[in-house]
Amino acid sequence: MKKEDTVKLISAEGFEFVISKEAAMVSQTIRNMLTSPGGFAETEHGEVTFPEISTTILEKICQYFYWSLQYSRGKETDFHIEPELTLELMMAANYLHT
Amino acid sequence: MERERESELVRLCIEAACQSGESVQKWRRQRRSLERLPAHLADSLLRHLIRRRLIFPSLLEVFKHNAEAIELRGENSVDAEWMAYLGAFRYLRSLNVADCRRVTSSALWALTGMTCLKELDLSRCVKVTDAGMKHLLSISTLEKLWLSETGLTADGIALLSSLQNLSVLDLGGLPVTDLVLRSLQVLTKLEYLDLWGSQVSNRGAAVLKMFPRLSFLNLAWTGVTKLPNISSLECLNLSNCTIDSILEGNENKAPLAKISLAGTTFINEREAFLYIETSLLSFLDVSNSSLSRFCFLTQMKALEHLDLSSSMIGDDSVEMVACVGANLRNLNLSNTRFSSAGVGILAGHLPNLEILSLSGTQIDDYAISYMSMMPSLKFIDISNTDIKGFIQQVGAETDLVLSLTALQNLNHLESLNLEQTQVSDATLFPLSTFKELIHLSLRNASLTDVSLHQLSSLSKLTNLSIRDAVLTNSGLGSFKPPRSLKLLDLHGGWLLTEDAILQFCKMHPRIEVWHELSVICPSDQIRSNGPSPSRTSLRASLVKQKQDPMPMSHSFLGGVLLFSMRYSFKCIHLTFFVCFSKTDQRLKYSREELLELQYSSLSLARPDDSSTQDAMGLR
Repeated sequence: MKKEDTVKLISAEGFEFVISKEAAMVSQTIRNMLTSPGGFAETEHGEVTFPEISTTILEKICQYFYWSLQYSRGKETDFHIEPELTLELMMAANYLHT
Repeated sequence: MERERESELVRLCIEAACQSGESVQKWRRQRRSLERLPAHLADSLLRHLIRRRLIFPSLLEVFKHNAEAIELRGENSVDAEWMAYLGAFRYLRSLNVADCRRVTSSALWALTGMTCLKELDLSRCVKVTDAGMKHLLSISTLEKLWLSETGLTADGIALLSSLQNLSVLDLGGLPVTDLVLRSLQVLTKLEYLDLWGSQVSNRGAAVLKMFPRLSFLNLAWTGVTKLPNISSLECLNLSNCTIDSILEGNENKAPLAKISLAGTTFINEREAFLYIETSLLSFLDVSNSSLSRFCFLTQMKALEHLDLSSSMIGDDSVEMVACVGANLRNLNLSNTRFSSAGVGILAGHLPNLEILSLSGTQIDDYAISYMSMMPSLKFIDISNTDIKGFIQQVGAETDLVLSLTALQNLNHLESLNLEQTQVSDATLFPLSTFKELIHLSLRNASLTDVSLHQLSSLSKLTNLSIRDAVLTNSGLGSFKPPRSLKLLDLHGGWLLTEDAILQFCKMHPRIEVWHELSVICPSDQIRSNGPSPSRTSLRASLVKQKQDPMPMSHSFLGGVLLFSMRYSFKCIHLTFFVCFSKTDQRLKYSREELLELQYSSLSLARPDDSSTQDAMGLR
């Protein structure tokens, strides 16, 4: 995959997740950051830092992006969420509009 | 609305969080996360917990830093302990504990001094009395207060005059006197006042002029005969009153948009609408009223909703209805003297009509062809009529034309009620081509498995009611329900056994099946509307059945017919015996065979449940 087609998402602890742009665009917030004309550093470097989102939650978010893409293409599987992650994940999802 | 704004992952998280009591235990100690939860997420999570019946007072506490709106309507467990926790909610803006019977006056003490509470619904909390009002007086922020059918007396109501910010006040079914109403005059911000069933008379009604912003007024079931002009009024309910004059006065006519005069008797019919500004009127209900002349309709060009059911209107006045014309979306003519000829005259005049009820009229199959000329129709109710489903052509050949075929032209048709008509398996055949149909109600003792199987092709059907039909176990077993089907009502299907129904449910777990022998709900599905699965017991559903012999046909138009006025009267029908129509299939069997059938199905019913037998009319 070419570098232009990927984005780097960085968690509060500094862990980096490199995922495809298409997957990241599942989030309306990230889509806005990456597509808004000029100004945002995110647009140029393809990097987004989330100081509020922990590594565990960001990993789950990335999994969700890929699951969501597959689901929209007709692969109907369940997305399992551990009950102990629900609150934090809910807040992150709310922030990311996903 | 709130739920639509939630993103997909948020929804999945909430579902996972409310999966079971154990999942709740996994997150309820995460105090810091809970405190950071934005209000709308907290409200949403709480709403799901309530619906899943996973909430209990001490769990409620974790939401005290963020919840803004809580609805606990009808939760029987809500008592003083719950209220004690709720009183500590710092940002609570709206609390609904309507129908929570264990909420008492002393339980309201916990709410004393709340600083954000603007809306409080205590409707039908019968143990809330005058003493409870004293606790509420400290909540000066209150803007909306619902107190209908509580235990308040005139003294308690008079106390409310100190809640100066009130804009909505529901005092329905309470002993509000003229004197008390006068003491409430200081509430000059009032916009909505509900006084149905109160002791207010003409003297009290004269005071209503003093509320400068009053736009909604309900005086149904009161002794008011003369209502003075209230220049800000937009919605008026005078149902079941005896009326001499409405809004009499010459200056500044009220900009009325909605008026309900259901069951109203007019002393002076000619002048009934004399003082009403009709140019803005969009809703008019004169069902069951004493009106015999309908010329006033010709003035009401803005009407969208017109209810003339059980009135004296007939084909002779049909031109008046046709005059209303273009804006009309909802027309109820059920139980009137209308016939097919009348429908024929209306046909070309109602281009935007979406909802039409002709239940219990004298129409026949010709009316159906006229309906096909109303292009926007979505909901049709032609139950309890002589509709046969075919028209016999007069001519040399005795060809039968299937009348329902005419409805194929209606591209928007979503809902069709054919209960208690003369249709048969053969004449229902055109139904299988109604691709947009979502709700279908049939109730007829001559329908068999054939009809059921024809309906498999209706790909959007979600609610199917086929009652009193001669469905067999094997017919049900081989029925391929449309994928979208959610509810199948088989009440009165007297040949079906519990085993066959259970078998069907096992094969189609998404479908909720109703029948006297069993009520089966989808197992662990979270339902977005209606009561939680655990609340639907066999007995409860039978009780509901007794109160309302045709739940489908009522809910049929319900959502659309409901209008923003709060109808406070519940019609409780006590006639609940299942009536079989003339072509009762049981006549085919001998008495002995019938008894055998009867016992074979009853032995499957719960032995202690005599109400099952009652509901089947087999006592």
